[in-house]
This record gives sequence, structure tokens and C-alpha cells, in this order.
Amino acid sequence: MIEVESLKKSFDDVVAVSDVSFAAQNGRVTGLLGPNGAGKSTTLRILYGLLQPDAGSAHIDGIDVHKNPQQAQHHLGVLPDNHGLYGRLTAREHIHYFGRLQGVAADDLETRTNQLIERLDMKSIADRRAEGFSQGERMKVCLARALVHNPPNLILDEPTNGLDVMTTRTVRDLIAELRGENVTVLFSSHMMYEVSKLCDHIVIISEGIVVANGTTDEIRAAAGEENLEDAFVKLVEKVIA
Amino acid sequence: MHPVLTIFLKEIRDGRRDRRAVMSALIFPIMGPGLVYMMMTAMIQMRSQAFETTIPVTGMEHAPALVQWLREHNVRLEAFSGDARAAVRNKKQKLVLIIPDDYQKRYGKTQTAVLELVHDGSRTDSQAVVSRIRSLIRRYSSQIAGLRLILRGVSPEVMQVVDIQDIDIASRQQRAATALNFIPMYIMLAAFVSGMGLAVDASAGERERKSLEPLLINPVDRLFIVIGKWLAASVFSSVGMILTALLCITAMLHVPLEELGLTFSITPLQVALIIAGTFPLAFLATSMQLLVGIFAKSFKDAQSYLGLLMLVPVVPAMLTLLYPVAAKTWMFAVPILGQQLLLVDVIGAKAIPAAAYFLSAASCLLAGFALVVITARLFGRESIVTS
Repeated sequence: MIEVESLKKSFDDVVAVSDVSFAAQNGRVTGLLGPNGAGKSTTLRILYGLLQPDAGSAHIDGIDVHKNPQQAQHHLGVLPDNHGLYGRLTAREHIHYFGRLQGVAADDLETRTNQLIERLDMKSIADRRAEGFSQGERMKVCLARALVHNPPNLILDEPTNGLDVMTTRTVRDLIAELRGENVTVLFSSHMMYEVSKLCDHIVIISEGIVVANGTTDEIRAAAGEENLEDAFVKLVEKVIA
Repeated sequence: MHPVLTIFLKEIRDGRRDRRAVMSALIFPIMGPGLVYMMMTAMIQMRSQAFETTIPVTGMEHAPALVQWLREHNVRLEAFSGDARAAVRNKKQKLVLIIPDDYQKRYGKTQTAVLELVHDGSRTDSQAVVSRIRSLIRRYSSQIAGLRLILRGVSPEVMQVVDIQDIDIASRQQRAATALNFIPMYIMLAAFVSGMGLAVDASAGERERKSLEPLLINPVDRLFIVIGKWLAASVFSSVGMILTALLCITAMLHVPLEELGLTFSITPLQVALIIAGTFPLAFLATSMQLLVGIFAKSFKDAQSYLGLLMLVPVVPAMLTLLYPVAAKTWMFAVPILGQQLLLVDVIGAKAIPAAAYFLSAASCLLAGFALVVITARLFGRESIVTS
């Protein structure tokens, strides 16, 4: 369960997020939709404790992120905007490293790692160094290391950006599976198709404020458009104008 | 597993696989002492060559007494005819001594006879032999002058108003230590070079490959993260430094320093003291590099700043060379300067109070830790994480 209330954040004079509130429920997939520069990444970074909000609050499973950031981070798996790998470590070593940092016990770590390697279809790359990995392979490692501690909440910042069809499908399947395991999934995207297909709940932000919040049907109804994309454009333009 | 240990082990593993880091940790310690050994040996050889070189002389027949005297002083001479300047310029000869035709005439009239010593001042390999010949001829000159004065019933002492007697209280070992001043400086430089690859990779490298954000999302205190990286870089730095110290010492034991009138000997205890005295410097060096590294956005960026940081260990070495002072206890508490003084004194076999070791180690480690705390603060800065 992820709750965000009246978040506000500016960098110097630029307001990145001016008023964002929403909630992502357990066992549901919530999509954070918005054009580039709408404040998606900033909102997510506040959620995983990397940025301090100027005002407002964020809670992960009821834990205030800014009062207890480390406790909140235990409840979170994150695929951040910057997701670099260590070129000289293997996929398995990446998963181990992050598992240890999350405090996963040694016995569980081995089992968890093998499960994730199986689940994300990474057997062939598990013991290869990351330097030669393709975009899709890199993404799998990032997902595995985000999930190694079995987090009840998962935040993904543009998870399918720049991926090929096969890996995109893997990511989508994974998101669907995790929903079945009662995980709270929150992901950002600017791709309408993906959001409409995957999400139970959509939050549209533009210019740092929430312009629509609800199910696909609710958003279409609010904009008075049949097509979700048209609804999105209409809602976003209303703010910019 | 404590997060510090997790980070430490990961950085060590990553560092061992990083050819750039391993090279910078190893090349310097191996190359330096090798070069120094070759240079010192060449220098000593040049000096001993001064005694072996045969001196080409033009007009030997004009000054048989001088020639005889030089031969008695173990100088080998051979007749030379032709263009002396050309021969030296073409590097056929290192020097040529020219005795003029009027030598005998002027000698007879007790006028100053002028000998010409043709040499190339820009050649370092002929300097030793040139100065040897020059001083021998001066000695010959004053000897004859003395005889001339005695003949006239004057004591040669009238020519010598004052004389100087050297009383050098430095032991041969201490004089060697001064000559070997470069060793402490070199060992200290090694501390800065050897851990640099890893320190930069663990700071600027994290930013360059965009792995800092995922790292900081983990529920780990940033201070622990930086400490882990610091310890890993310090291991590389200490290993490089100890290796440099051992190789420098080995090289010096093999250079024939006796020929310079110097003695260099070292006991295992001294070696242990050198290592104990200097390894804290590794921790300061890497903490500086981590701090600089976190400001840099890329490896290249960091390296240009770190080039300047390399001057840091050179400054105290230069200062102690230019302004030799008796080490006071407080000086050991100044990081880097303390290590420099300690090293010079250990190599010179001077007694060092135990407090000096404690002070220099404590000040280095404390300063290093303070920089680590500052780096940890910066590590979480929003502008660093998100750029």
C-alpha cells in the first residue's frame, strides 16, 4: 500500500511537483501516467526516500518515508530512473549484493536468487559479467535485484522504456504475476497502450499536479472521450492551457 | 552480514577485476623502485668511471713533471692530437686536456701557465671526471706554489689565510638517509596512487555508470556505504604502499652505496616500523579521493582533480628537504608531515618516541574519518543523486 498526500517539491526555482496525492492499493497495479517532465520521476524519488518533499507526505504500508526512510525502504522494491549495473559483476553477484544490503538472510538469499533467475529467464546470463549485457538483459538484472527481498510494494520508473518486445512481455507478465501475489505495483509510463492494458488504476499527472485519478473507465468518462489516449491528451492540455 | 562488510567485499571484488584499479595499484610500486635502482647505479658507475677514464692530452711533452705527477695519482693519460673541440663535440672524447707550447717557458719565468680543459658541460656523464682532473691540477698548482715560496724563504702558510676542517657529525647512515630522501616521498606517493583507481571507481564511477541511485535505495546508512568503500580503497592503497616500501628498500640494499661513502642498512624491525608508521596514510589518501570523486561526474573528471591531489604528499617532503628542522612532537600530529618525518627518522635510524607513532597514526585516521563523514553527507545530496 502506497499513499501520497499533497506532495510538493521544487528544485531551485523550478516547481517539479506542486500537488500530487494518490493511493496505490495492495494487489492492484497503479499507473502513473504523464508527459515527459510532468513530475513522475520526482514523485517516485520522493516515494523511495531519495528526495525530501518540500511539503506533503508519503507512506509505504503506513510507514512515513521521511521519518523512517530505511524501514520504508525495506518494504519497497524499486526500479529507479537511473539503473546502472556494475560491469565487472555477474548477474548473480548483483542480486546477492542487493539482497545482502536489504538484509536478506544468507540461506534465503540463495533460494531467492535462484527463484528470480528462473522466473525472469536469466539462466544463460546468471554467471556472466554485466558489461556485455543487452538492454533487456540489464533490465532483468535490475528487476531481480529490486525483488530480491520479496518486497510487498514495487515501484517501477518507466520499466519498459527502450526494451524489445520479448523483454517488454516478460516485464508485463511479471507485473501481472506480482499483482496475483497481492503486491502493490506502481509504475510510471508515458505509453498509453501499456498503461491501459496493465493498470487497474491510473493517475495522470501533468505540470506537477494530478489531473485525473481512477480506473480506465472513470478517466474516459471524466474527459468525455471514448479513447483513453484522447482522454489523456485532453486532460493534459487543459492543465497546460 | 553487516552492510559495511557487504560493501567492502563487493568493492574489493569489483576492484580486483578492474584492470585500471589493479594497474594503478601495482605499476607504480614496481616501476618506481626499479627506475630509482637503475638511476642510482648509473650515477655510482659514473663516479667510479672518473677513476678509470683515460684522459686524452695534447702536448704531453711540454709538461713532463705534471704528467708524471698525474700518473702518480693514478690518472691514466694518453697522447691526443687533432681538433680537441671537434672530438668532444662529436662525443668521441669526454674531455681533452691541452698543455700549451709555452707551458715550459711560462713555468720557467714563474708566470701562470694556462691549461685548457675541453669538455661539454651539458653532458652529465663527463662531469665527475672533469671535476676530478680539475681538482688534481689545482692541487698540483698549489703544491708547486708552496715549493716556490719555500725556495724564497717564505712559509707556504702565507698563502693560506684560513683553513677549514670539516667535522660532519652525521653518521654515514644519516647522510645516506638524506641522500635517500626520495624514498619516504615515494612511499607516500604510492599511498595516493595505489588506491586511486578503486576510490574513483567507487565514487565518480558510481555516478558515471548511474548505479548510485539504485545503491542508495537500499536501507543502509550512507555512512556505512562510504566506510565500506573507504576501507576497500584503503586496502588497495596500503598494499601498494607496503609493496613500494619493500621494493624501495630491496633496491637500496642492492645499490653499491658504499662507493658514495654512504651506508644503508636496515633491520627487520625498521621495516616493520616503516610499514606501521605509514599505513595510516593510506586511509587519509583514499578518503580524500572519495571526497573528490563524489564531486566529479565521471572518471575523467575525477582524474583531472586527483592529479592535483598528488601534490599533497610531495609538499611536506619538499619542505623537510628545503627547511630541515629538528622534528618536534607536535609535528607528528600533522597528517602527511608526520609520516614524512617518521619515515626519514626510521630510515636514518634515529630514535623515535612511541608517542610519535601514535600521534601520526591517530591524526591521519581521524582526518580520514572526518572526510568520510563529509563524503557520506554529500553522497545523499539530492543534486548528486539525481544528476
